[in-house]
Amino acid sequence: MATQDVGAGPRPSPAPAPAPFRITGTRELMLRLPRASPLVRLVSLSSRLTGCASRRERALLGAAAGVHHGRGTEGRETGKTLLWLPLSGAKMRNVFEVMLLLLLLLLPLVTAHAGGQPNSPPGKPVLTSCRSPEKETFTCWWKPGSDGGLSTKHSLFYRKESSDAVHECPDYRTAGENSCFFNKNNTAIWVNYNITVVATNSLGSAYSDPVEVDVVYIVQPNPPENVTVSVMEDKGWPFLRVSWEPPRKADTRSGWITLVYELRVKLKEEDDWETHLAGQQKMFNILSLPSGGEYQVEVRCRPDHGFWSEWSSTSKANVPHHFRRDNSTWILMTVFFAFTFLIVAWLLHLNRHNLKRCILPPVPGPKIKGFDKKLLKSGKSNEIFSALVVPDYPSTPSSNYEDLLVDYLEVYVPTERELQLEESKDPHDDRLKSDSSTSDSDSGRGSCDSHTLLVDKEAKEEARQAECGQTRTEVQRSLKDWDALTYAQIDMVGRDVPSGRVKTWPSLYSPLPRHSSGPLDQQSSLQMAKQHSLSTSSFLAQEASGESYWDVCSHGELPRPLRAKTPPHRGLRARSDADVSGAGLKRAPAGPRSLAPHTSEYVEVQRVNNKDVVLLQPVVTGCYQALPGEVYSKVKRVDSDNILLLQREAREEDGYPGAEQENTTQKASACVYAAVLVQDQMAPMVNGYVDTATMCTLTC
Amino acid sequence: MMHGTIRSVSCVWVVWVCLFFCSSVTMVGAAPICANAQGGCHVLSLANLFDRVIQHSARTHGISNNLHTEFEQYFMPSKNHIGRVSRNCHTSSILTPNGKDNAQRMAREELTEVILKLLVAWRDPLWHFHQSMAHHHDFNNFSSNKALEMSNMVHELHKGVEKVAEKMQVLGIISNTVSSLVSPEALLASDSSEWRPMRDYDLLYCFRRDSNKVQNYLKILKCRIIPEHGC
Repeated sequence: MATQDVGAGPRPSPAPAPAPFRITGTRELMLRLPRASPLVRLVSLSSRLTGCASRRERALLGAAAGVHHGRGTEGRETGKTLLWLPLSGAKMRNVFEVMLLLLLLLLPLVTAHAGGQPNSPPGKPVLTSCRSPEKETFTCWWKPGSDGGLSTKHSLFYRKESSDAVHECPDYRTAGENSCFFNKNNTAIWVNYNITVVATNSLGSAYSDPVEVDVVYIVQPNPPENVTVSVMEDKGWPFLRVSWEPPRKADTRSGWITLVYELRVKLKEEDDWETHLAGQQKMFNILSLPSGGEYQVEVRCRPDHGFWSEWSSTSKANVPHHFRRDNSTWILMTVFFAFTFLIVAWLLHLNRHNLKRCILPPVPGPKIKGFDKKLLKSGKSNEIFSALVVPDYPSTPSSNYEDLLVDYLEVYVPTERELQLEESKDPHDDRLKSDSSTSDSDSGRGSCDSHTLLVDKEAKEEARQAECGQTRTEVQRSLKDWDALTYAQIDMVGRDVPSGRVKTWPSLYSPLPRHSSGPLDQQSSLQMAKQHSLSTSSFLAQEASGESYWDVCSHGELPRPLRAKTPPHRGLRARSDADVSGAGLKRAPAGPRSLAPHTSEYVEVQRVNNKDVVLLQPVVTGCYQALPGEVYSKVKRVDSDNILLLQREAREEDGYPGAEQENTTQKASACVYAAVLVQDQMAPMVNGYVDTATMCTLTC
Repeated sequence: MMHGTIRSVSCVWVVWVCLFFCSSVTMVGAAPICANAQGGCHVLSLANLFDRVIQHSARTHGISNNLHTEFEQYFMPSKNHIGRVSRNCHTSSILTPNGKDNAQRMAREELTEVILKLLVAWRDPLWHFHQSMAHHHDFNNFSSNKALEMSNMVHELHKGVEKVAEKMQVLGIISNTVSSLVSPEALLASDSSEWRPMRDYDLLYCFRRDSNKVQNYLKILKCRIIPEHGC
């Protein structure tokens, strides 16, 4: 239905086109000419006429045409307007005269036509729109149709819903021309109005299409008023505060109309507006201003069911320039980059070694053991090369041998003898073991014997002595070695007195180098085999009860009773694989016999054979005191090598062959023996005994 | 097994309880009323009630408008209808103010009565309208749902307005004549079978208008009673 159509807007209704002609009842042809060039129209009209004119008219036209063209052709139509030309049989001689006549005739027509249409009913008006600004009154506008050449009067009639009474528009003036204003009294809300406009002139009237209007749905308020824009500051950032008032006529206070507002903003130089919906409030803050400058603001409003008002007049405000643009973005970016940089730096720091290696590969330096770069830098070549020299290299054979020595095989034959010996073991015997702390005994014998403790103790005491410290060690070593030799098969014996292996079993096999046989033999026997320094030393160790003897030496104490080992009753002959030197024969401890009241096992050197092998034999127990001529040794002479040649005093026994002597090792044992041996000046040989005290004063 | 069944039963019960409470909360009339009879508390709750009711009516009107537009698209009234006498809504018997002045001149009680009458008058027709829509195959489900929603909303709106009237009576804003007048006239209007021959389209048209009336009257009432609250 058309109720809303009017409200929707001016609907363009086509004006009824005036009919180009009308054939009246008379013979006259009323040809209405349009304002175009008359001659053209004449031609076109004439062509139309052919279709619709009756024969009578056609004949008429033809006659006229014949008059016009001056030709007697029938059916030729020409446009003739208002041809009241009486048909005369006479033809115009001159075409030009006819034309002139026509023109003369046409001219007033044209002018008459241009002036308006005389006496035609008016055209149909069209209702364009109806609007109510405040839902209390409303106005309707129409567009009139054609005039018809006469004064046309337009009137609006309306009919209310559910009522057949037709009323005319109360007010044609207030709203302007071609309008009808309905005031409050005539306006009823929620009522359908059926409105029609009628155009009337003397010739007729024209009715427009009816339109149904309900005022509630045609509300379009006026724009808001008093729009004020002010620049305010919030924490340094400017913003716009826009406030307005509802249009004066709209009654929002009583709740009759509820308006919602909308505003738009733009910079002066911009083209696009930024719209904001403000709802029902009458104030709005525009916060995000991109930059400073002149801002333009406009507001409009709308009822809940209605049309938007027009935009209000533009309000302007000047916003000061500020560097607001993208500040937060810059800050964010800065923070982000700083963070990333820190992370990268940290990673680099963690991997700096890898990087360093990658970028600056290390120059390979000399990798020689003992090569000191610092020395190189200092520039002293001697030091450098001396540093290169490994003190252990080339390793001395003794030490090597020492190192290479395998564990001794301890052959222990448990016999009664031994048991007795074990029982009768004194701490003295332990001294033979000479398990000094300085030497490492890895044979494990220490665990078996408790004597080692005492031995250690002794060793410590001796170690304190500076004078014969080295001697002591050597002696101890030799003691050990001797033990080693006696008990086991010694593979290799270094020349030097090995440090370490201690055989601490004073058993049957401990030799007792007491006897010294003939000087020559002794002498030769003294010559230690190269490989058997051990034996010598051990022999030495055996000698004079080993440590006790040396103890006295080091401490300068009264000579302790030497302890010679009594040879076992059995008379076992201790024999070692290696050569057992009989060097100790010379130093047959005379003392021990006299000094050792307790039982101890002694082994005496039987002899030293040609192979520099000391043959031992156990001394028969029982008489510890003084086996006549056996116990005491007598210094025979001092050799050129500072070797004290001892010989057994007293009888010469058959059973006791001269013990051969061996040379001790030239090295340390020389010292040792020197210690043992009494020098020329020294050795007050009383009774041929060796004074232990003096011995120790020898150079070591 | 026992535990499982017990748990499921308890879950179902909890869910049901929750649903029950939720549904009751969403109803219009379930506004919290202050326990202690203090003046400020009452006024505030009345304003709150009014707002809710007005919102509800606005929504109702919106739905009716949509439905009416849809009808116009699908069932374009023929040109014959243009000239005919406009439809007769069954609520035309209820006297409603047709202008601002009339509405403002009307007493609060009368206005409230009018609102209630209108709402009562539309309860049944809308329900039947929904029924008829459901049976029509021409309408899609969306329209049918809207009709149902409309019907429900009117129902709730009626309850809400009743609550508001009650509140106003308690507060002494209006006299106690409102409630008694509602039932008989309204029932008459709804009992009458005037609305039956009405076509769906006309029905929608009438209801659209009436919902607008209700909304407007409520606003007027609110701004008259509580002017400081958003008027």
